[in-house]
Amino acid sequence: MRLPALLALYAALVRLAFRRQLAYRTANLAGLLTNAFFGLLRASLFIALFTSSGTQTTASISGYDLQMAASYTWVTQALIMVVNLWNWWDIETTIRTGDVVTDLARPFSYLGYWLARDYGRAAYFALFRGLPGLLFGQLTFQAGLRWPEGPVAWLLLLLSLSLAIAISFAWRFLLNISAFWTTDARGAGGLYGALVLFLGGFVVPLRFFPDWLQPLLFSLPFAGIIQIPTDIFVGRLGGLAALEALATQALWALLLLGLAQLTVVFAVRRVSVQGG
Amino acid sequence: MPAFPLLHLYLTLVGARVRGQMQYRVSFALSAFGQAFITIIEFGAIVVLFSRVPRIAGWSLWEVALLYALAETSFSSAEFVGSALDDFQLRVSQGTFDRVLVRPLGAFFQVLAEELALRRLGRVLQGILVLILALHNLALVWTPDKVLVLALGLASGMVIFFSIFVLAAAFCFWTVEGKEATHVFSYGGVTLADYPLDVYADWLRRFAIFVLPLAFVSYEPALYLLDRPDPLGLPSWLRLLSPLAALGLALLARLGWSVGVRHYQSTGS
Repeated sequence: MRLPALLALYAALVRLAFRRQLAYRTANLAGLLTNAFFGLLRASLFIALFTSSGTQTTASISGYDLQMAASYTWVTQALIMVVNLWNWWDIETTIRTGDVVTDLARPFSYLGYWLARDYGRAAYFALFRGLPGLLFGQLTFQAGLRWPEGPVAWLLLLLSLSLAIAISFAWRFLLNISAFWTTDARGAGGLYGALVLFLGGFVVPLRFFPDWLQPLLFSLPFAGIIQIPTDIFVGRLGGLAALEALATQALWALLLLGLAQLTVVFAVRRVSVQGG
Repeated sequence: MPAFPLLHLYLTLVGARVRGQMQYRVSFALSAFGQAFITIIEFGAIVVLFSRVPRIAGWSLWEVALLYALAETSFSSAEFVGSALDDFQLRVSQGTFDRVLVRPLGAFFQVLAEELALRRLGRVLQGILVLILALHNLALVWTPDKVLVLALGLASGMVIFFSIFVLAAAFCFWTVEGKEATHVFSYGGVTLADYPLDVYADWLRRFAIFVLPLAFVSYEPALYLLDRPDPLGLPSWLRLLSPLAALGLALLARLGWSVGVRHYQSTGS
């Protein structure tokens, strides 16, 4: 296929996946309510950290001031469905039902097909889940949230988010596609969910961990899913340091997507189609 | 006939489910480990927070650990017993609930006996472990009344969370699509109870004391065990009321379920 045609194809896939999500309005509203409530609980806890010794307030913890810390909880909360932290088994389902054969037979990249759909899904959740959640945080926190300042910060955020989705997608793709070899894919998925919550910096910012551990934590392929885009959003990461973080993200995205492509090659050899 | 026919039947039914789960050994081991791991991680997060601040709202690490352990242990044991309740919307939307209604046994009993997810014991064990750690590090002076408050607190917490699961399942008789909203009260409830009530806004504290009695899962029993004054200035007899709060919510859940069953109309599929 020629490049313009290919691009048009992927753009169409992104749009379709976006529109597909629009059908689940009530479910999204329920999810939004849940995300907002959890945001409220988590923000309360993080705000309490700054007044831990009675009336005296702490100015900054690990480089986050009160507003940045409160924003941190709301941004991570908004990212849950954008990077789709848990429970995405769309591909595994097609492998169990056999529908995977249709997808593999399509005259374009199997990995690209799902990646494009994931970007469409992510765009939907950024607009209809993430943004309303952030606005809710903005309204409930007196000082308001810390938003990216200036076009450069917004550009960095956009790049970082795109890479975060790619990394998260590659992990989920690998977990799903393991269903070609094992019936236990979901068990491993639970373990991954726990890992990404902690090592991705969702539960607690990675910068709260012991200082000697941080170089390691930031070089793992989990930091790029939550911690890095969130830090760029709240202004904890900018300039050269942000570019360096983006490079780490890009490296992991390429590596994991490459691995995913490799598993597709092996998976295809295992497929045997019964005529009928 | 066995001495307790219902209990015997229950064990036979869930026994079959458990044997079924054991067919996927690796998956079972991984998800049991995963469940335990998630809890370790949550507790790990508390430890990490306390590595940066000495106290949270005046509570020390092991005091918060006590709250967390009370909440987690009661929540996870309720979740274990109520395994069948959390995807109850599927039973309604797929029409399999109809099967339950035509059999000559209580609907609630049958639903409960349909599933027992053994992997959830991983989370229960973690809760108990943190509880032992917290009690060990707090070096409380034990008196019979404190032992009683601890035991009743755990039991009440379990009843409170179980009632929340039942109410959330009953909610599905009206709408199956909005099930995730009930997570605010179940998963949100346990998260709220993990930390001292003092960190939350006034309306949320009042809600947890007077509306949905989450304060009685961990906060009120912990105040009693730690001999702490109530920063909210509420009377001290309030911290003994956990069993009463649990009873009240259980009655409400019972009512909600039976009204729901009566309201239920099959999808016809």
